[in-house]
Amino acid sequence: MYVTDDGEEIFVIDSHLHLWDASEENITHEGGEQFIQCFYDYHTGFTPEEKQWSLDEYRQYGADRMADDLFGNAAVDMGIFQPTYLNDFYAEGFNTIGDNAELAERYPERFVLNGRFDPRDGEAGMRELERQKEEYDIQGVKLYTAEWNGDSKGWRLDSEESFEFLEKCSELGIENIHPHKGPTIRPLNRDAFDVADVDDAATSFPELNFVVEHVGLPRLDDFCWIAAQEPNVYGGLAVAAPLAVHRPRKFGEIMGELLFWLGEDRLLFGSDYALWNPDWLVETFMEAELTDEQQEEYGVDFGLETKRKILGENAAELYDIDIEAKKEQFRSDDVTEDFGLADHYADAAGTGPAPADD
Amino acid sequence: MSSEPTPADAASTDAVTTPGAVRERLDRVTDPELDTSIVELDYVEEIEIEAAAAADAGDDAGDEVFVAFTLPTAWCSPAFAWMMAVDAREAVESLPTVARAEIELRDHMHEREITRGVNERLPFEEAFSDADGGVESVRLELDRKARTARQHDATGALLDAGLTREQVAEVSRSDLEFADAPEGRVRVWVRDGAVAVEADAEPVERYLEKADATGVLDDEQSELFRTPEEEPFDGDEVELVRRRTRLAGVNMGGQGTVCDALNESRHAEDRPPLSTREGAPVAPDKEDRADAD
Repeated sequence: MYVTDDGEEIFVIDSHLHLWDASEENITHEGGEQFIQCFYDYHTGFTPEEKQWSLDEYRQYGADRMADDLFGNAAVDMGIFQPTYLNDFYAEGFNTIGDNAELAERYPERFVLNGRFDPRDGEAGMRELERQKEEYDIQGVKLYTAEWNGDSKGWRLDSEESFEFLEKCSELGIENIHPHKGPTIRPLNRDAFDVADVDDAATSFPELNFVVEHVGLPRLDDFCWIAAQEPNVYGGLAVAAPLAVHRPRKFGEIMGELLFWLGEDRLLFGSDYALWNPDWLVETFMEAELTDEQQEEYGVDFGLETKRKILGENAAELYDIDIEAKKEQFRSDDVTEDFGLADHYADAAGTGPAPADD
Repeated sequence: MSSEPTPADAASTDAVTTPGAVRERLDRVTDPELDTSIVELDYVEEIEIEAAAAADAGDDAGDEVFVAFTLPTAWCSPAFAWMMAVDAREAVESLPTVARAEIELRDHMHEREITRGVNERLPFEEAFSDADGGVESVRLELDRKARTARQHDATGALLDAGLTREQVAEVSRSDLEFADAPEGRVRVWVRDGAVAVEADAEPVERYLEKADATGVLDDEQSELFRTPEEEPFDGDEVELVRRRTRLAGVNMGGQGTVCDALNESRHAEDRPPLSTREGAPVAPDKEDRADAD
């Protein structure tokens, strides 16, 4: 949990995590090398210098390192895994549900494990989605419309095939759909990240929630306009949050727009780990402020209660997480044992703020 | 747009091309995704001018100019890179003293196709044999976004000058008068031409440039300002439209921030080389060919 100077506790659910393998042995296509190098540019571009990793560390960090980054300084209380397969680039996939399960199953009370589908996989893809539901009881899927698959360089969320899969999600109770709509990543096609296809899907499946990862950047305008009209569209702040490091003013503008168009209940914090590390990003986010000018321009609140929602409560709402019960449970779970967090949660599970002296 | 001589034209009438004049022309070229000048973005790396030999002086004689530029990432959209290269060539060649401009794109995954295509004046789809089509639709989409973002400053200038929301919604191209207005100002005629209000000209001129490029100046509707979907709007919608135009500008600026950061990490001293991994596997199409043997 993040604890403010005034002793306010913020329960943090990092809604965008990966456990990836971009080791050279796993790369089967030049695209795989370009992809990880491009990620690394984003990493170094938006990470404080003293927190930057080497490219070798970045390729494959493993479950132990990840657990330590998330829980070692209690930056995060819980996390949501978002798989990214890229089977055309990586022999065993880049960041599969199986990879993610290695850590998620070690600490099941700490993680939400999402699945994925690719409508181009047809019937086999449908069976795979059912398997993921059965084996991991997934409540959400991460969708990567820019992924290559054979001759295809992308797919649309509003296609007929995609609707069949969304239908299946609805049937299986997989309610949270996380399409990746963000900055271009080499060598993927920029247009495959176009956010326009979310509109129709969100209208057609009002029972599902569409969490647009990376808030559509560089199409923030299209994203906000769609979200303003579709109440089941949310914004995932992965990529947007790290702008607060070196570009706080720009970050403030983007937050101003998001809060103006979507409000404080439809935004989810995500580090995009290991693109960025919550061990410093949560703090950066907590310390970020709008300028007086931005405050006036947008007329929105980016104070403690808004941050509390974005950092945890909104994700808890989507994934039926009872934060108070979790705090209680975390006083003595395996993470708390392994990382010596008993005091951290013992204080937290107290009776709230200390009573004032009479 | 305007055929009136600019200061740069005036300066170049002595038949010498100066780096300053070239730079001034390049300053009019924008990165289409950011709607910001390529000079301001620091993309231009080198300008060389080779004066025409006096002996060659004839009607079509003129200087040759070489311009090299680099983008923030090696994988910036080839379509965007192409547009910038073509626009740079045309901008420089619009100087009366220049006979020919040669453009070089550096450090880009498609630098060869783009440099060659632009200098040989090929259409995009010929320079890239696997392109789905020309760049015109991409250019139009980005011009539309730029028009929307620029409208924010233009309507802001008119509101600041005292126009009501209704007047802003109704103003047409023919209500604007630049020629007789004081330097840097535009006259906006309102109330059926009964009264003129003066406003800052620059944001309005910038807006007109993109309004022209997107065709909203000569469609069947007379309203100068539009929604992002290019529809006219009423006075009571001005507030909402202005929020949307503000958003369009924030989006472009946000993307500029991302590009800027990538540019910095790309040029960091200890940056590992891009995709020169030893033994990098070949692309599948080449593998296929090998397999076919």
